[in-house]
Amino acid sequence: MVEKQNAISLGVPKDDFLGHVRRSLGRDQPLETAPVHLPLTENFADLEVRAKAATERLETIRGELVDRFEETARVRNWNVFRTSSVEESIGYMADLAGRLGISKAARADQPVFAELAVDSALQNTGIELFVAAHDESTSDLRVRQQIIESGLGITGADYAVAETGSVVVLPRKGLSRLVSLVPPVHLAIVRAKDLVESIDDVFLFRRLEYLHKGGDMGSYLNFITGPSRTADIEMKLVVGVHGPREVHLVLLA
Amino acid sequence: MAEVKTRDFVSASDAAMRDASLRRALRQVGGGFNEARLEAIEEVSWETWEEWREVARRTKIHALENLDYYLEMLHDRVTAAGGHVHFARDAAQANAIVAEIARSRSVKIATKSKSMVSEELDLNHTLDANGVEVYETDLGEYIIQLAGETPSHLVAPALHKTKEQVSELFHQKLGVPLTDDIEEMARVARQVLREKFLSADLGISGANFLVAETGTLVIITNEGNGRLCTSAPRIHIGITGMEKVIPSLQDLAVFLRLLPRSATGQRLTSYVSMVTGPRRNDDEDGPEEFHLVLVDNGRSRLLADPELREALYCIRCGACLNICPVYGKIGGHAYGWVYPGPIGAIVSPTLVGLKEAKDLPHASSLCGACREVCPIRINIPRMLLHLRHRLAESPLETENATTTGERQAAQAYSWLMSNPAALSAAAKVGRLAQKPFVSGGKVSKRVPLPLVSRWTGGRDLPAMPRQTFREIWAQGLESEAEIRE
Ligand code: SF4
Repeated sequence: MVEKQNAISLGVPKDDFLGHVRRSLGRDQPLETAPVHLPLTENFADLEVRAKAATERLETIRGELVDRFEETARVRNWNVFRTSSVEESIGYMADLAGRLGISKAARADQPVFAELAVDSALQNTGIELFVAAHDESTSDLRVRQQIIESGLGITGADYAVAETGSVVVLPRKGLSRLVSLVPPVHLAIVRAKDLVESIDDVFLFRRLEYLHKGGDMGSYLNFITGPSRTADIEMKLVVGVHGPREVHLVLLA
Repeated sequence: MAEVKTRDFVSASDAAMRDASLRRALRQVGGGFNEARLEAIEEVSWETWEEWREVARRTKIHALENLDYYLEMLHDRVTAAGGHVHFARDAAQANAIVAEIARSRSVKIATKSKSMVSEELDLNHTLDANGVEVYETDLGEYIIQLAGETPSHLVAPALHKTKEQVSELFHQKLGVPLTDDIEEMARVARQVLREKFLSADLGISGANFLVAETGTLVIITNEGNGRLCTSAPRIHIGITGMEKVIPSLQDLAVFLRLLPRSATGQRLTSYVSMVTGPRRNDDEDGPEEFHLVLVDNGRSRLLADPELREALYCIRCGACLNICPVYGKIGGHAYGWVYPGPIGAIVSPTLVGLKEAKDLPHASSLCGACREVCPIRINIPRMLLHLRHRLAESPLETENATTTGERQAAQAYSWLMSNPAALSAAAKVGRLAQKPFVSGGKVSKRVPLPLVSRWTGGRDLPAMPRQTFREIWAQGLESEAEIRE
């Protein structure tokens, strides 16, 4: 659970505001029973059943999902490198770092990096690799500064969505919000087991976890679908505004 | 609240139609966004699209019918996640809340991601007056902030500006050399704003959706500025209309499918960011405080009016603007207030007062295209007619230009639009009846129909196509009944 701060409320008291809304709806009392809305009638057990069924479904179509994800991700301008080899994955990252000609890169601290020992390979190319996580010895500000100086940010994926070609990240301990955002190039590592079919799957699993954790969603969730872009001037597409201009996927499957 | 210029609609739209660069820009929107939208729909099939629209509409109906319940749930869940919820009855109150948060936390610099509600409130003005430097960070919004203008489109706020104008603006305000390279302009904005992001104390965002179940604020962006605004500063304030709430996380999926496709033809925008409270203790970064400001500012009037409630279902995708022959001619500014286009012609009169904006409900040829493209199937023509009706019936409006003939025409239209069978019959008759007046795909300016002639005086009305969208569409469906509400 989240540590409770004392909530403050400026403006109209909640009950007055809701009372006014209620009168606008032609009622003067709160509803006596919750309105019936299917998703909200589900309890933990229902969700578990559905999540289990979803997991089994995903298992049976895993191979096809990888293909679909790869295809959609390419359409959304991810540079996809697909391989089943850990060495090749690491090689791709080292090549990329070399090609970018950067002196610093930052990576998140996620379990995937135990499978993929990128640190020494990257350091061998002569760049300084920094793990963007703070402990007693590194302050928040130091972490932020290191990310700002990095030419490449590397993260894992909490989910990868075949429907949309998105990588979903859930910033938390070990995964800064900024590491996939501030450096001009982002590389995400996606494993076959990270794949889900649709955004519905993502929300189903998140809801289950939400209940599981006694009502904590985690503070942030981001769908990342290709590079940062804009068409705000004369509707001409420009890639790379405030976020990364170049995004890479190592699809380890 | 943002300055209301809706009274000047007629003169402003005349001026807009004489603006050559605006017309060029508007032609691009009509084509670009709309074609991309159609392609994105065809990719998933019209059948699927219709299912999604149906689900989304039902969800909005349900959420608004029980708005008090879901707002309470939202409040409780945001608070449980460590956030603060503030309720504002009107613009002044909403601005005062933000000003008070900024003052009590010694905020010096604020960065903002795009928010139509903050435009509605004219929040930047309040922050300025309170000594807070505020920077719009969406590229389009940044441009119009530098130019001291207001957005002219829901999705592409600086649509009315040419690249030459933007270059000149950057040259004057930022001291950078003139260029005709749009990428260079974007790079300049990135550089200037990057520093602001990292020095800002406060990030302000709007919300595309609010999920009651989990207390989550959802924003949908392409540039990444929304992510930076909600990640880098130590305080985040989300400010939005109270109608944005949907019940469950599960309900969000269909809206994520509808909104980007309707707005820009994208399968999904580059980023969908979901914020639930402030950073947790062991998070690496993120704001220490999260505030949600929920704004009424006239929305309860829409809620209370069964004829107009569905205007609150709007997800601000801009599709109705992109298809609208009137918007396509006059652009967004002529509408005189924050919300332009067909949906703006309903929302603005209700939020600023019908008396102030009598011309807006007439700013439509009632061709029905807005309703056909709306991802929530909002019946805009019906509501415009309802407003016309109210204007026509109101004893206070006797000096209004409405003649008996127009009143009758309004009533006839009103009946027609609420009667799909009659409407499609009338469309067929209309196509034959207009034949003598059509030249070059446009209806001539001297159409002898009372309601239309007032509009076509000085304007070209697009001719009804040989086959209406409705008809083309119906052919692809098993029965026409499916596309009715
Ligand atoms: S009324 Fe419909 S089409 Fe127009 S902006 Fe709103 S949701 Fe989009």
